[in-house]
Amino acid sequence: MAEGPLSGIRVLDFTWAWAGPFCTLQLAHLGAEVIRIETTARPACVTRLIPPFADDIPGPNRAGYFNQYNLGKKSILMNLARPEAVEIACEMVRHCDVVADNFAAGVMDKLGLGYDKLRRFKPDLIMISMSGYGQTGPFKGFIGYGPPASAAAGMFFTTGYRGMGPSEIGISYPDPNAGIFGAFAILAALTQRELTGEGQYIDQSQWEAALVLMPEALLHYEMTGREPERQGNRDWVMAPHECYPAAGEDRWVSIAVGSEAEWRALCKVMGSPGLADDPRFKTAQLRKQNEDALDEIVAAWTRQHDRWELTRMLQAAGVAAFPAMSNKDLAEDPHLLERGFLVEPEHPEVGKRKHAGIPWKMSGTPCSVRSAAPIRGADTEEVLKSLLGYSSDKIEQLRKAGILA
Amino acid sequence: MASSTSSPFAALKIVECGQGVSAAFGAKLLADLGAQVIKVEPPEGDLTRGRGPFPAGSEDPEKSGTFIYLNTNKRGVTIDLTQAAGQQLLSELLNRADVLIHNVPPAERSVWGLENSALQTRHPRLVIAAISVFGGSGRYASYKAYELTASNASGWAFLSPGASPYPDLPPLKCFGSQCDFQGGVHAALTVLAAYFHRLKSSDTGQVIEISEQEAVAAMLEMNLMHYTYAGRETSRLGSRALGPWFIADCADGQIFVLAVEEDQWQRLVDLMGNPEWAREELFKDRLSRAQNMDALKALMAEWLAGWKVQDLYRVAQEHRVPFAPINTMRSLYESEHLRQRNFFVDVHQPGVGKMRVPGMPSQYGKSFWAIRRPAPRLGEHNEEIFCAELGLSQQRFRELRNAGVI
Repeated sequence: MAEGPLSGIRVLDFTWAWAGPFCTLQLAHLGAEVIRIETTARPACVTRLIPPFADDIPGPNRAGYFNQYNLGKKSILMNLARPEAVEIACEMVRHCDVVADNFAAGVMDKLGLGYDKLRRFKPDLIMISMSGYGQTGPFKGFIGYGPPASAAAGMFFTTGYRGMGPSEIGISYPDPNAGIFGAFAILAALTQRELTGEGQYIDQSQWEAALVLMPEALLHYEMTGREPERQGNRDWVMAPHECYPAAGEDRWVSIAVGSEAEWRALCKVMGSPGLADDPRFKTAQLRKQNEDALDEIVAAWTRQHDRWELTRMLQAAGVAAFPAMSNKDLAEDPHLLERGFLVEPEHPEVGKRKHAGIPWKMSGTPCSVRSAAPIRGADTEEVLKSLLGYSSDKIEQLRKAGILA
Repeated sequence: MASSTSSPFAALKIVECGQGVSAAFGAKLLADLGAQVIKVEPPEGDLTRGRGPFPAGSEDPEKSGTFIYLNTNKRGVTIDLTQAAGQQLLSELLNRADVLIHNVPPAERSVWGLENSALQTRHPRLVIAAISVFGGSGRYASYKAYELTASNASGWAFLSPGASPYPDLPPLKCFGSQCDFQGGVHAALTVLAAYFHRLKSSDTGQVIEISEQEAVAAMLEMNLMHYTYAGRETSRLGSRALGPWFIADCADGQIFVLAVEEDQWQRLVDLMGNPEWAREELFKDRLSRAQNMDALKALMAEWLAGWKVQDLYRVAQEHRVPFAPINTMRSLYESEHLRQRNFFVDVHQPGVGKMRVPGMPSQYGKSFWAIRRPAPRLGEHNEEIFCAELGLSQQRFRELRNAGVI
């Protein structure tokens, strides 16, 4: 089996919902051993409780959302409301490199699992807390979800169809984005620990991780004193630059033209080579100025053709074109399948289901999805035996006492 | 913040080349921690130098906000990598580097001298991170792609804006260069993983290929599983699964109205002064509230319009109701919370002056994150790097410059 670059690194994972599990998913992808602590003191992780469920049959081990973002991790189940369970978690920290959580600010301290306490068990511990607004500042206690986080980050204000108001953006983007920046911060801390011997605490604000992705808009205001205008799919410089209707119901193809050669190629594929020298569209600047007329002409052509046919014709001529992919399109895409991006690990309750796999390939330290997401509590016994040397009897006693489930 | 000399990341030497956002962002994330980055631009300059935003009235390649943001803390050289002499210079830079980050698409790599196999043979200890929209293999690997292409190929655009009532309006790209930014942060993540592994055990380099299509396709919430678990297609059309969930007008701007859990809704009803309509069957649970969202919106409109955005945001959050403002860029720069966390930082860019730019994505307990130098002017460090560090004679330097190599 392939071993990723983080092979030998162990992560104790208290995360729930989406941002946190997305962070530790990256570490699992990179070869770290990620042990999820799930607790009976709260309802199951929310992503275990919401649809889609496999074949629409609800169940905490059947939820696609959970099973996607916890691929390759282990799960142990305990009652963190009991001090004995917290003590077991602390003992586990001795054998871990990283602790991750994404509770609201202060919750880990209240659970008896704050950084200052945990570092007593592991002096060079790296701990990351991911929250909506960070651990300090007047909004530190505010509740953060993905959609309002997009609003707070200025993404709704800047996104939208021309002439209409601010718009949502389709996914809770700041959630996985906080996760990926959290994973990067952990890698920075692991590298730093390797070089200096010191661990550290990382305060990951979902809001701030999203704001570093908004420089074009922020600097537009900073440098011109004006807010950027919403421009649909259009670009500041390029034209044509739109998602055009293709033949069929709700079928679309994106076309973006970034150079003179691409413009000429587009006109040729459209069968209108004369268009290239049309006085309205002769230069990039003119095409941008007369973009409404240009879009109408292009759309009248794209409507007559299948989106894949358009893609093949235009790409063969060197023009950036691609269909707007649906979830079904992605799941069945031959490119993603032949690259091995879509994975189908065997899961004891839902069998083989396609999941999004690893978006990078490393030649020297190949990464792989090692297993499906864990059944809730599946690894309690194995982990406590191997990590802490517990006997079957001891585990049984702890279960009877309601400390482990 | 510590000074550059004390950053342990100063040992990490990176060369960055390509065009645009993704490679530049990946290298920036590491440069900001203290890694030594040399940015290689074509002699005509990077594309983002032409994109702006620019200070009012001055389109100037030395004043593009996007370029400046992406390239703080780097030194910059110009090399024409389509010429053999240029590729030779790059090779000498790579002899002294730990990492190469680039975003040259697979189909163009041979022209730039950036084929993986040749680079690996010449530089066995080098970690090579190559970002592209469709990855380094597979049937679309040679396809041409921009940000718009990536946002459609990844499946994001088809879902956006979400719950749209306008089937005739197209899938909608999110503002900015989001897919390119993801290419960049995924590169920075995997580069550090490879570097960490090299420090710990192997001392050999490797090639990392990052696909933006896949990086973003892995971020689509539960949408992929709606199909693979339950056979359902999802799109930007349709309705929300819970309510309230909408953008609303306040007295001085807009706010995002949301209640996810039943207790959040109850506290919101309290905050609204327990209006009679809130007890109606139409709004009895979050699913009913989603199905009757238009009615709900209309009933809440007057109350919402009486508030200033930031006041309602604070009061709602104090009631544990997860509203958020539709922040403008101005309101972000004015945020007291971000000010107290020192989020925005100053860049003193020659020719532009002081600019406030987004700062640390993560706050580290032991941080080496700092803005140590502004973005490089075009070719600013050619002489410093080619002559003083690579040992090129003044005469050879002039020859290369006259031949348009640098």
